[in-house]
Amino acid sequence: MATLFLNAGFGLYFLSVVFYAADTFFGKKFLPALARGAVIAGITFISAYLVIRWQIAGRPPFSNMFESLVVFGWAIAIVAVFVDLRYKSRPIAMGAVLVSLLALGYAALLDKTITPLLPALKSNWLTIHVLTCFIGYAALTVSFVSSAVLLVRKDEDENLDTISYRMIAFGFLFLTLGIISGSVWANSAWGTYWSWDPKETWSLITWFIYAIYLHQRTRKGWRGKKVAWVSVVGFMAMVFTYFGVNYLLKGLHSYGR
Amino acid sequence: MNIKNTGVWRFFSSIKLAIWLLGVISFCSLIGTLIPQGETSEFYISKVGQVGYDLIMRAGFDRLYYSWWFILFLFALALNLAVCLVNKLPLRAVKLGSFISHLSILVILLGAAIGLVFGEKEYVAIDKGKAINSFVYKGRSVDLGFSLRLDDFVYTEHIDPKEKLLVCESDSGAETHGGMGAHAGMAMPGNGPKVIAEVPTDVGVETAVADTGYRVKILRYLPDFAMDTATKTATSRSFEPNNPAVEVQFTDKAGKVSRFWVFARFPDMHQKTDQNFRFLYRWVGRMPKDYISRVTVLKGTTEVVKKDIRVNEPLSYGGYKFFQSSYDTEALNWTGLQVVRDPGVPVVYAGFLLLIAGVIIIFYVNPVVKRS
Repeated sequence: MATLFLNAGFGLYFLSVVFYAADTFFGKKFLPALARGAVIAGITFISAYLVIRWQIAGRPPFSNMFESLVVFGWAIAIVAVFVDLRYKSRPIAMGAVLVSLLALGYAALLDKTITPLLPALKSNWLTIHVLTCFIGYAALTVSFVSSAVLLVRKDEDENLDTISYRMIAFGFLFLTLGIISGSVWANSAWGTYWSWDPKETWSLITWFIYAIYLHQRTRKGWRGKKVAWVSVVGFMAMVFTYFGVNYLLKGLHSYGR
Repeated sequence: MNIKNTGVWRFFSSIKLAIWLLGVISFCSLIGTLIPQGETSEFYISKVGQVGYDLIMRAGFDRLYYSWWFILFLFALALNLAVCLVNKLPLRAVKLGSFISHLSILVILLGAAIGLVFGEKEYVAIDKGKAINSFVYKGRSVDLGFSLRLDDFVYTEHIDPKEKLLVCESDSGAETHGGMGAHAGMAMPGNGPKVIAEVPTDVGVETAVADTGYRVKILRYLPDFAMDTATKTATSRSFEPNNPAVEVQFTDKAGKVSRFWVFARFPDMHQKTDQNFRFLYRWVGRMPKDYISRVTVLKGTTEVVKKDIRVNEPLSYGGYKFFQSSYDTEALNWTGLQVVRDPGVPVVYAGFLLLIAGVIIIFYVNPVVKRS
């Protein structure tokens, strides 16, 4: 039953990508509205899935790689809708929904079994920490999509640069909140707010790279392709923080596999 | 001469230096995630040989984040920030967000330094029934001013709903017919022996075996069953599930009681006690539910506080905090606690708040103010 909601969300995201793609080719007026409608419906279904899973499990659904990917796919799609409405950039919205689709597709390959929460994760900080991190990840992912499109295009579109910057500003705030909430949680669980665990260290590296982006853009006046490269490097660090650390390095976050 | 005209001041004022330092610190941090930190010399030698080990030790790569050169980079960043902050004075309202977000990094680093210099952080192990009143930190004994006794250590597990003791029809009847039919799988293709009842494996619960009139009670669960040959008693070698087994008490219709062990990994090994039944232990894999250190704080001989320390629920007493850190995986006879006194934490948290406030002001307050 619950899985049905997840599959419906996946299907609707897929439809949304199809409508967005059709829009770039045919430019019919109703296509963007359909695409938006599909992704909003998809978000609704994924939200329902998360709520149901929360109820069944009796704990927040944020404890392993599968659950985090669903949250990731959910958050990116929300940011995609925002970018579509606020910045009128449908190619970026399409790219973002495509990444959501990939996240959910990857999640589908993983074990969906609901397992009980490990003692270390039994804390109210779990919800705050995971949500802030993934809202941040989602915004940074959308900024990457925008920077990547900017880099492959011949002309320098100012709107893409603005989207990248706005998304990084927002993502940076939430990355900050995510790191701080994790730090405060670590202090209440283990008595140390920072232990240079690989996940912590990589989140700091990511934070530093986006700090470099913000300084270069606001203080040195870097724009367009030059600063887009920093955004791409930052995104690579973010992806490594999310996946690489779990699969390649050992540490306190090893339950995130 | 004004200090602001010196070359040193200009050097530490530059954004370029800040960018370089962020890059260098990121790169060094990256190296630190690739080389396992704080391991023993044997570990490094086994991985990279004696020559590699000497190099690692000389460069301080085994404790990279505490090496003099890493601290130096952090210190240079702090100096860079401090100079930039002074340059922002006198403070104008538009610069407020930028000022406090950069100040926050200094505050966080200051808090960390306070913790390193004035704090204490050590791991202690306490045996059940014993108490500690001091611990050794950096070679000196630190007096707690009270004692902490471990009354009990409790480890509980989640039992998967699929974990059951299966009471089956005995296939011994089929055995008398001889031939291939003796194999349970052959008698009932693909199904194994016929299951009469699935009994939950919670210890101490007695369950009726369907409508047969027999009753089953689980007496004990051992994750790593071993028979102590000297005392002829069953014990668990560890709390790792190497050989999960349950002790079953079986009561027949006449009230005759028999006791035996059923093994998850060795379905044919249990002592047959009743000709009519066969027992299978379907073990699914248990997950830790709670690690609880039941402790008492004592002043002299007076009990002051009793507390269950769990992960995420430390004990705070007398300026110290005690965190659940490890435990005796073999016999649950001791607990490992992290003892922490860190006067830098409030400073670090103040830095966190400043950082959040600063970033919000820069990106979400300033633009609104500018527009209006």
